[in-house]
Amino acid sequence: MARVVVDVMPKPEILDPQGKAVTGALARLGFAGMSVRQGKRFELEFDGEVTEERLAEVRRAAETLLANTVIETFDVRVEPTPESAGAVDEAQNSQAGNNQAENNKAENNKAENNKAENNKAENNKAENSKADGSEAQSAEEAELAARAG
Amino acid sequence: MSPKIGVVTFPGSLDDQDALRAIRKCGGEPVSLWHGDDNVDGVDAVILPGGFSYGDYLRCGAISRFAPVMAEVIKAAEAGMPVLGICNGFQILCEAQLLPGALIRNDVRVFVCKDQDLQVESVDTTWTSEFTVGQTITLVLKNGEGGYVADEDTLRRLEGEGRVVFRYLNGNPNGSFHDIAGICNERGNVLGLMPHPEHNIDPLTGPTQDGRAFFSSVFNFLAAKV
Repeated sequence: MARVVVDVMPKPEILDPQGKAVTGALARLGFAGMSVRQGKRFELEFDGEVTEERLAEVRRAAETLLANTVIETFDVRVEPTPESAGAVDEAQNSQAGNNQAENNKAENNKAENNKAENNKAENNKAENSKADGSEAQSAEEAELAARAG
Repeated sequence: MSPKIGVVTFPGSLDDQDALRAIRKCGGEPVSLWHGDDNVDGVDAVILPGGFSYGDYLRCGAISRFAPVMAEVIKAAEAGMPVLGICNGFQILCEAQLLPGALIRNDVRVFVCKDQDLQVESVDTTWTSEFTVGQTITLVLKNGEGGYVADEDTLRRLEGEGRVVFRYLNGNPNGSFHDIAGICNERGNVLGLMPHPEHNIDPLTGPTQDGRAFFSSVFNFLAAKV
């Protein structure tokens, strides 16, 4: 798997109201002296290698859809993925490379599972709050009991 | 026979029904077009209505601009068919490069919703011939991304060729360069503007009836053509 990143930024001469709003919010939070311009990042993933043809195609896609070149500039670059980093290792030490890739995959799966668990918990909470007051209360009691247990 | 004016409904269009109603109330025959349609053969003119087509994902109008019906609208516009883009429709016309420049988030960083005074700057378009130059009109303006921007060359060309059709009066609501509220193409058959003529055609729903002249203008143009 290969990844190409397209960064899109508003041209310097074009007003960036979002960036200004973020700049203001940062200043209010005490992050002084920071001027923000806000853009977009697109991650395009491919099977196989990133060839020159592939990059040319991405540039065409960026020009056609991802960026409006009247008001934005874009930058296309190849980003190493955990797999491709593993592939480099593989050349030197195939065992280690594979392990790393495997480990990364395992880590990702774990993260995915956690996210799924969290979502489930969120959904349950939403369900509970949707239910009427008494039920919500009993759910809360149940939760407290479970926690006490 | 009353002229047939098509109104394209994209997923997320809001003002398509109002546009259809305005066409009917002003004496035309409204025709519903769908974003997935592959022809606009049955109509004499097309309106791209306001709203948030495709949820304004990516950029306003960026995805709608590639809807199947747009290929036909672009072809028809280039052949001279009257096309009016209102608000989101204006954004789509700019993304489609039927009109130059682009619309960005309002400099005031809030959604603006008000009765907006405008000055009519050009009556040499298929949609504004019933106005007079210098006339002041009031139309509903409601958008979050209505700041018109273009490079200096484009602005000079638009001004020089009389293609600035409407200008904001009594204050610039969104940071548009040169107070531009609406522009047209070289030929004058494609007009885009941020304010909403379709909301200003009867006393029940609009502050004025200044929107009616857009429809009478295009009806006259189409009648003269036949």
